[in-house]
Amino acid sequence: MNPFHDYYGIPWYAILGLWSLIAVGSHVYQVGFIVKLISLGKDDDRFNSWKQRTKEFLTDWLGQRKVVQDKLAGYAHALIFWGFLMLVSDVIDLGTGGLLAKILGKVYLANIWNLIVDLGYTMAGVGILVALYRRLIVRPEKLKGTSMEGILILFAILGIVLTAFIVEAGNMIGGNTHYNNWEPIGVLFAKQMESINTESLSTIIDASYWIHMILIGLFLIEIPQTKHSHLIGTIPNVMFQDHEPMGTMPPMQTDDNNMAVKTDDLDFDNITLGVNKFTDFTWRQLSDGWACTACARCQDVCPAYKSGKTLNPMQIIMDLKNYGKEHGTSLLSGNTPEENIVERFTPEAIWACTTCYACVEACPVHIEHVPKLMDTRKHLVMEASEFPEELQNLFNNLERNSNPWGLGAHTRAHWAEGLDIKIGEPAEYLFYVGCAGSFDDRNKKVSIATAKLLKEAGVDFSILGEMEVCNGDPARRAGNEFLFQTLAEMNVDAMNSLGTLKVITACPHCFHTIGKEYEKYGGKYEVYHHSQILNELRQKEKIIIKDFEDTVTFHDPCYLGRIGGETEAPRGALGNDIIEMERHGTNSFCCGGGGAQIWMEEDADKRVNEIRAREASKTGADTVAVGCPFCMTMMSDGLKSIGDGKAVKDISEILLENLEVKT
Amino acid sequence: MNIAVLIKMVPDTESRLEIVDGKVKEDAFKYMVNPYDEFAVEQAVQFKEKVGGKVTLVCLFSDNPGIDTDLRKMMAIGADEAVVLRQEGYSGDKPSTNSKILAEAVKELNADLVIGGVQGIDYYQGATGPMVAHHLNIPHISGVTKLELNGEKITAKRQIEGGLQIIESALPVLVTAQKDMTKVRFPALKDIMMSKRKSFENRNVNTSKENDVKTIECSLPPARGGGLILDGESPEEKVDKLLEKLKMEAKVL
Repeated sequence: MNPFHDYYGIPWYAILGLWSLIAVGSHVYQVGFIVKLISLGKDDDRFNSWKQRTKEFLTDWLGQRKVVQDKLAGYAHALIFWGFLMLVSDVIDLGTGGLLAKILGKVYLANIWNLIVDLGYTMAGVGILVALYRRLIVRPEKLKGTSMEGILILFAILGIVLTAFIVEAGNMIGGNTHYNNWEPIGVLFAKQMESINTESLSTIIDASYWIHMILIGLFLIEIPQTKHSHLIGTIPNVMFQDHEPMGTMPPMQTDDNNMAVKTDDLDFDNITLGVNKFTDFTWRQLSDGWACTACARCQDVCPAYKSGKTLNPMQIIMDLKNYGKEHGTSLLSGNTPEENIVERFTPEAIWACTTCYACVEACPVHIEHVPKLMDTRKHLVMEASEFPEELQNLFNNLERNSNPWGLGAHTRAHWAEGLDIKIGEPAEYLFYVGCAGSFDDRNKKVSIATAKLLKEAGVDFSILGEMEVCNGDPARRAGNEFLFQTLAEMNVDAMNSLGTLKVITACPHCFHTIGKEYEKYGGKYEVYHHSQILNELRQKEKIIIKDFEDTVTFHDPCYLGRIGGETEAPRGALGNDIIEMERHGTNSFCCGGGGAQIWMEEDADKRVNEIRAREASKTGADTVAVGCPFCMTMMSDGLKSIGDGKAVKDISEILLENLEVKT
Repeated sequence: MNIAVLIKMVPDTESRLEIVDGKVKEDAFKYMVNPYDEFAVEQAVQFKEKVGGKVTLVCLFSDNPGIDTDLRKMMAIGADEAVVLRQEGYSGDKPSTNSKILAEAVKELNADLVIGGVQGIDYYQGATGPMVAHHLNIPHISGVTKLELNGEKITAKRQIEGGLQIIESALPVLVTAQKDMTKVRFPALKDIMMSKRKSFENRNVNTSKENDVKTIECSLPPARGGGLILDGESPEEKVDKLLEKLKMEAKVL
């Protein structure tokens, strides 16, 4: 028994045709609108490395690699997703009155196809039930207060699945019964429905068919309007994910070789500094808006959000999409809406980001939250000159004395006095000390410890001394791209003149910036975090470290672990015997100091470092080991303010304390 | 409204300060705009924005070229033109000579208002402003904390010990700015870059042969001795060591 007959004298296909026209038409129109909106974005050439992109697409999109990292929601989603891929062709079959099955039957594929579709519906059905269980019974904290949309759609999809089985079963019964064992779940339904009288059965099957088709049509109309736009939006998002190293920022202007245009040659008449208009984002930044599924994983890991600040990375993505939707017609006709992007994001949110990249790491569909915030910071600093007052000091200090504290540039190498360290001479390694290691009393001790260990191991190294300037990270992450580039150019000149290509630094921000960002400014170096060198020296027994009694926990710096990809070396250097915090490695939680936050005021009741200090405190370790000067400051202050007397020490200090002195 | 702003370039407070043969070694200095003068620039630009007109920076300095970037920044705040008087052998501690040279350049501008910082943070003499007013033969108000423009008149507020003085003057007048006269904006990069298109005139001026005061000698404050941390197993032991030192080395007991 099938539903393919006339209804009140009108053929079923006429009714369905009309409905399809409305549903598909609406869907295509809306998707077209979104595509046009995204196309308003600036160029970002990601149409390369197709082999790698295909592989990523297969693992991340088809394989749901990051989706399943959240077990319950992830596997429920994967079931629904894979199920839908398997069942989607059934729409064509049902829409053509079983034509697809007939055609497939001619090439002997109908049975296997039936099985796949049946299995698809089953997987989707199971996935939906798990998802409903999560939403209605488990109810994770982050789902509270969200709209009913998610639940409604789940019920609608459940409806689609159930009606499909009923129609499937209807094919087998009513008239001459023939169970198609290639549709096992369909058979189960058929057996349940057998006893129903023909008239009722016919009504049930007809109703199911039309409910099925109406729901699918409604779903098509709904997809572009809600978070379900991710069904389409994730395709370009995953396919064209960022291939630059995590955390790197693009130069203000690039030449034909994709190198940064020198500060003296920048064409200020023709560059936009940062973003305040929807159309100033790149197309790939804009597409994020429609790829977001509102899974809130970014929100869960965001230090700004977790410490009660205005910033919620997910909201930034929603803001972008909603802005596009609300001002879409105006934008497409070439107008600039009165409301700008900064207003939509809000300056408070923009200035709260620590650039820890936890949100980007957590996102299953490769949304780039941080670059959007950095783009708006650039606008606020370089175009609008509206930024937290404290940053004015930072910029002035960096301009005048090339360090954030504004201490005399000529005192940069004072920490090294009496240590017999080569200054400004070629050597195998350049020890790039950085500002904290040069000017901050606490962190000078780290520089001394590192230098002593290197000397102990007989490593040939020199420092730049007064030729060194800040790597530029604080300026860059605070939106002052020009100042960053000025500093980068000074460092690159100095480092290239020295000719040393291997660099050691005890600061992950220097490590990241010099190692991954200087290349576009003419500086290509092999940059090592001191933990990597110290680990190697320890493994090769160039330095012998005694077993130490104190128990140690290690706080991974964002720019070393998650962004830098190095989580092993610090642990190797410390001797692996460390008590881990719950969140560690690439899942580590920011100390609160990155993204120039350490130079800005933070509300006393919203401190990120206290959250992290509590996590460190919970381990019960005697010492918190760090590998970053800013983590040093933030963790020390954080522990102090929660009343924990734990010592905070750099890896190098712990090693030096336990160094077996050669006899 | 025609406004002239007096600018002095002073050594960055974090510059390396060396004294050789009783003289400050100036070639190791990095120079910056005297912070008090920044208030003057900002105030001048605010007046211009309110009533229209032109703001011209007048700066007397040596032939050291390394000050352009800092002056450009002042122009990015909104000044229209800059005249830099280049004097061989310029020295920031000669207000008598310097004020005369500055006054000559300012006279040409027919300024309704001349405004500068209350003092330079290099020698803290606070004399150049009033002396320029004298040479221009116009009144002056020094150390102003708040300045208001009311048509053809200017009202200045001065914080004085235990009170507030309000002074009114017709234009033209010379005013020197005290700290926090107004909040100095941080110019946007675009404005800094665009300021490169503004008129920036370097003008050589003669080294004055007139009599002026002479600095005989400069010296640094005596260096402070380092502290000493006494080691000891117990507080008692440390106190004993301290007493010993106080008796034998410091000889205060």
